[in-house]
Amino acid sequence: MKVLLVGGAGREHAIAISLAKSSYSPRIYCISEMINIGIKKLVEQSNGEYFRGNINDPNIVSNIAEKIGADFVFIGPEEPNFHGVPDKLEEKGIPCIGANKAVSEIEMSKAHMRDIQWKYKIPGRLWYKKFKTFEEALPYIEEYADSIALKPARQVGGKGVKVIEDIQVYLQDDKKKLKIAHAESIVKEYMKDYDDTEYKLLIEERVWGPEYTLQCFTDGRSILPMPIVQDNKHAFDGDLGMETGGMGSISCGLTLKYGINDERSLLTREEYEKSAEIVKMMVDAIQKETGKKYHGVVAGQMMLTPVWGPTIIEMYSRFGDPEAINVLKALKTDLIEICEAIINEKLNTIKLEFDENAIVVKAVCPEGYPNRRDLAKNHPIKINNDIINNENIIWASVDINNGAIVTGGSRIVECIGIGNNIPEASLKAENLCEKISLEDGWRVFHRSDIGSEKFMERRFSLANLAREIYQYRERKGLLGKRIIWMPGKGLIEVG
Amino acid sequence: MTGILGIYFFDERWNVCNFGVYGLMALQHRGEETFGLEIIGNSRNKIEGEGLVEKILINNKKINGHICLGAVSPSISEFQPFKLNDSVSLAIDGKIISIEDYRWDSTLSYENNLRRAFKGNKIEDTIDFFSRCKGGFSYIVVNDKKEMIAGRSSLGTKPLALGKMGFEGGIIASETCVMEVIGERVPISPAENIEPGEIRVFTPLSAYSECIENCTKRAYCSFEYVYLARPDSYINDIPVYRVRRRIGEILAEKDDIDADVVIGVPETAIPFAMAYSNKTGIPVEKGFEITGRRVRSAMKPNQLERLKGVQLKLNVISEVVRGKRIILIDDSIVRGNTLANIVYLMKEKGAKEVHVRIGSPRIISHCPFGVEIPPEDELIGRHLNEEKIAEVIGADSFRYLSIDDLAEAIGIKSEELCLGCFSNSYPEV
Repeated sequence: MKVLLVGGAGREHAIAISLAKSSYSPRIYCISEMINIGIKKLVEQSNGEYFRGNINDPNIVSNIAEKIGADFVFIGPEEPNFHGVPDKLEEKGIPCIGANKAVSEIEMSKAHMRDIQWKYKIPGRLWYKKFKTFEEALPYIEEYADSIALKPARQVGGKGVKVIEDIQVYLQDDKKKLKIAHAESIVKEYMKDYDDTEYKLLIEERVWGPEYTLQCFTDGRSILPMPIVQDNKHAFDGDLGMETGGMGSISCGLTLKYGINDERSLLTREEYEKSAEIVKMMVDAIQKETGKKYHGVVAGQMMLTPVWGPTIIEMYSRFGDPEAINVLKALKTDLIEICEAIINEKLNTIKLEFDENAIVVKAVCPEGYPNRRDLAKNHPIKINNDIINNENIIWASVDINNGAIVTGGSRIVECIGIGNNIPEASLKAENLCEKISLEDGWRVFHRSDIGSEKFMERRFSLANLAREIYQYRERKGLLGKRIIWMPGKGLIEVG
Repeated sequence: MTGILGIYFFDERWNVCNFGVYGLMALQHRGEETFGLEIIGNSRNKIEGEGLVEKILINNKKINGHICLGAVSPSISEFQPFKLNDSVSLAIDGKIISIEDYRWDSTLSYENNLRRAFKGNKIEDTIDFFSRCKGGFSYIVVNDKKEMIAGRSSLGTKPLALGKMGFEGGIIASETCVMEVIGERVPISPAENIEPGEIRVFTPLSAYSECIENCTKRAYCSFEYVYLARPDSYINDIPVYRVRRRIGEILAEKDDIDADVVIGVPETAIPFAMAYSNKTGIPVEKGFEITGRRVRSAMKPNQLERLKGVQLKLNVISEVVRGKRIILIDDSIVRGNTLANIVYLMKEKGAKEVHVRIGSPRIISHCPFGVEIPPEDELIGRHLNEEKIAEVIGADSFRYLSIDDLAEAIGIKSEELCLGCFSNSYPEV
């Protein structure tokens, strides 16, 4: 069996490991823009081949798939989906695990995603407004002072999102100025290279609560949810600093327990099921809207909010990175069996099995990430056998440059720790992170707090707080509703 | 003592000025005499003045920048933040007593000694310098590379906390109440205690913490809990309000007085009085009305100002005291003039009995770490016993909280507290 893997980041390395473990013993081929040494090793071991190329070009990817005679293609990142790589493969009769162009709109167009959520009355829908131009948004921002999230209306590699909490009236003017400045840069900078969405800017109500990602396999007929994973977006320790693609993720069992034999968990069983139901409704809705089948991985990047309980923040038309690493590490079912079932639309015959271990993944990044990748790039990595042969070190943004293994500007590696409980797993990941350094002495960083006892306590108490409020709203029949009394205008109900 | 503040936005489009002003306002109780706010952006500018920070708002002075360093001070002669050299500014709470490998020159001012001892402008220079400094202090430094370095001396005498502003930046401040005034809503990112010996660094690219090695000895200032800090702050992760409530309870547990009403001297002693009342069942009432602005009278630098403050702040409400046996609770007694004044007014307005309880042990000695305590010959507790003090201030009885009870109320072992002003025995720095 031959599998072509598209993409060369940490997520794809994790996928490659799962493929390599399969009883089908596939030959693994890979195409990506940079050469990931972790994937390269697996490709070589399985007698496959590594191609350097533009993964967003449907012709390039499908030609390679044809040339090697791939039995199927597994697409890791979102951009090839948006560019119609799966569609082209389908045209050529090559099966593909990856959302086609139409259904991947669920991720690509954040405005469209919200439209669908409201049209189909799917629970966990946030209040939002979409704009085609900056000028259109300006009077709106001027008038409404509120806590908001400003987002590019298209997925642009997770960048450009700004959340501004606007509660203190005495700081309102300063916050308004920044909202305006950022709205302008979303439209004029972040979105300037994309003309594939009608809307450019999205303004959403700002919510709080613990975040989690629910990743599911789907063949378009059923969805199989995986354990929830909590990713951590702040660059620095203690939830401080700029938003990143993810600095580390934790999981343990379906509902993110504290440990294998522990009562405490981030979500209740009901909340987990409700979240899966919401993702299922989204898949059904996007298929109904587009008339196309969804074959691949879908994920809800969610939050347990006081307004709704389980709430969708964004949708992914693929695995999350680093969240993929957690679920694939725990997955006991043969990944190729799952892929075959997706291709044949027989996912309902598969029973997904996961081990219960606590898994903590931590990313090690070169200083400069995330905002100054130009500075973070091209630093040679100190390599030794200890690192290269460690199956718990996942290679992410790295490249081979004149024979040297160098940083690609984003996360270098993602280190996996496994234990009986999250803090124990965290310490193991921590030990691996310490092994990573750069030849030229350029600083690297990772988050030591992720998965610590204090960290877990905080996440759980945040979940409890959000839960108490949403359950009160549920009891009162107020879930998702916003009731405002406007002096002079009376009672106004939104949502 | 001083209130210090550093705010760091990663995104240069933010203007930090108002955040700095309101942040300092949240620290105003730590010093009402002078203030300073340096704003760092494309250039470095400073606003400073005497009196209250809100003057900046009234004068509508506004400058641009995304990083700031500020301080409020209770001393008229002290202007913070100040420059250590051309590129480095410092705000410091507490005192540096000696510096390793530096001979203190007593002919120079304190600031000039620091200037002389400090070399360089890099992060490592700053960390190295403060790790050589002995004393009880917390500091924040900003240099001209837009790097902010903050830390707490290894004994942890002075408080320091870290707050967050979502993805936008961080706040370092003497007290956590600042985070609630200008930071992100608490359930999402609670303020974090900066540990003794911990150093927090912010650069345009990064934020991280480091630790001075081998620092396990602690000497947390106990006076923070009794009087200095705001009741909505957490000091060393302990809610100040909880300590003050516990002090009131302990005072009640040790008492067996038949009284009609409990009154707390505003503002600090109000939680003591409420807790005392809850414990004993004796009703608590509002005993005073204020004229003019609320000021911390005890922190005024001279006697006349203090008395002015007291008299304006503390007009006794006759209806509350007439014909009543009163438990009157204050946070501390320094010279005794304030209490004498209050007890006299209460009796004059018809109080039958006034029993004074103090929510702290007797103050007998100076503070080497910058809390402004009067010279020892002015401290009533150093010279008179409880019985004599009662006579001097005209009270029917008078009692302090014991040192052991204070440690119990705080919830930290007394070996890990600095109790120097109460015990005349100081931690080794």
